[in-house]
Amino acid sequence: MATILFKGIAARSLTARLTSSCYYGMRYSTKVSNDPDTHDDFKPASKLENSGTSLSDIVEQDVKDNPVMLYMKGVPDFPQCGFSSLAVKVLKQYDVPLSARNILEDPELKNAVKAFSHWPTFPQVFIKGEFIGGSDIVLNMHQTGELKEKLKDIVPKQ
Amino acid sequence: MGVTKEQVESSLNSKLNPSHLEVTDISGGCGSSFAVEIVSEQFEGKRLLERHRMVNAALEEEMKEIHALSVKKAVTPEQWKKQQESNQSNPAA
Repeated sequence: MATILFKGIAARSLTARLTSSCYYGMRYSTKVSNDPDTHDDFKPASKLENSGTSLSDIVEQDVKDNPVMLYMKGVPDFPQCGFSSLAVKVLKQYDVPLSARNILEDPELKNAVKAFSHWPTFPQVFIKGEFIGGSDIVLNMHQTGELKEKLKDIVPKQ
Repeated sequence: MGVTKEQVESSLNSKLNPSHLEVTDISGGCGSSFAVEIVSEQFEGKRLLERHRMVNAALEEEMKEIHALSVKKAVTPEQWKKQQESNQSNPAA
C-alpha cells in the first residue's frame, strides 16, 4: 500500500509539473488541455494514481450505498469458494437486495477491503455500512435470529 | 508450505488460554485450511465479531500461510456448558 501511495504521489507531482510546462507551451499542441486525463500521455500516470489512492474510497462508497454488501470469491450466482457460497446462500434466505464484488478479479481491491475491515479472509459481509464478519459469523447470526433483526428495516428487493 | 495443526493449537493455547480447543485440518493435510472450536474465558462480554478477531489476531503469523480459517465456535465456558447439556438432553439435535 505504501509503495502504491508513493507512486501515486510521484505520478501526481510529475503530472503537475508537466501540466504547468504545457500551460506555457500551449501553442505547440492542439490536443493538450489543462485536464491531464484527456491527453494520452498522462493516462498511465493517472491510472496508477487512482489505483493507489481511491480504492479505499470505493469500498467506503460501496458499503454506504449498498445495504447488504458482499466481497466474495466469484459472483453470487457462481461463487468460487465454499465459504463465499455459504454466505450467499444464507443471505439469499432474506428478501433483501444483495450487492457483491468479486475480489478474485482485482487483487488490489482485495487488499483494500482487507485493510478497510481489518479482516484477513473472504467473504466479508457489510450490512448498512457495518462490518459483520465472514461466513461463520453470518451463519451463526442466521441461526440465532440476529441476522433477521439486522436486515428487517432494509427495503425488499424489487 | 503450510501450517501444522499443532502450530495453530499452540498459538491459540498460549494467547487465549482455552478450556477447550479443537483444531481440525480441513485441507486434507496440506495445512492451508483449519476449523476451530474454542472455549475461553477471555470471550466473556465480547461480541462474536470481537471473538473472531481475537482468534484471527492470535493466529496472525499463521494466517499468512492459512487460506481459510473457519471458527465454528468461539464461546465462553458457561455457554459451552449449556450447549453440552442441551446436546445431552436432546441427542437427536
